Amino acid sequence: MHIHRYEKIWLMFGGGIIIAFIIALFVNAFAMGMHPPSHMATIDPVKVDQTAPFDKPGLRKIGEKEYEAVMVSFVFGYNPGTLEVPAGSKVTFISTSKDVVHGFQIPETNVNMMVVPGHINKATQTFNKPGEYLILCNEYCGAGHHMMMAKVIVK
Amino acid sequence: MADPAARVKSSTHPKHGTTKETESKSLKGAFIAVMTLGALIVLSWLGVFYLFLSRI
Repeated sequence: MHIHRYEKIWLMFGGGIIIAFIIALFVNAFAMGMHPPSHMATIDPVKVDQTAPFDKPGLRKIGEKEYEAVMVSFVFGYNPGTLEVPAGSKVTFISTSKDVVHGFQIPETNVNMMVVPGHINKATQTFNKPGEYLILCNEYCGAGHHMMMAKVIVK
Repeated sequence: MADPAARVKSSTHPKHGTTKETESKSLKGAFIAVMTLGALIVLSWLGVFYLFLSRI
């Protein structure tokens, strides 16, 4: 079969791009630990308040500049509503919903989870720059959706 | 894919080896278009990937 020289070049180019993207994906997933926020952990959505760790929501120190933030999402807010951490802290957010689907996004970071009732989501973020970070709901959840927010204060 | 002019040319000179030449000429535009599109895809992918890495 005769394949034109130009065709050979662009086929190799196209194939090369696909291979490069797949390599980048695997490096990300297995070497850098990038995973989807939900890791198939489930919870009974009507018993969120009685189920650990959501029976005691809040910020917990788990290591040197390492924190775990257990946050319950509900209409129309998050519990706890404010978190305070020192600059350079690595915070793992763990969240679930008590009622409907909520969003959990921290703009200008990679944290963006869809908090589905019955599922537990996790996302980790390192806050290097001091300031106030907004946590907001980006899934329409009802009449008070636009007021659903929380704050991370980095000092 | 060959344009009508190229077909005329190659059929008028079937034994002069012009077929290959006209083919490569007629694929030049396609080649540029494919490579431009490819570069656009690669650049936008790199841009999004850089944004992701810078926000970790």
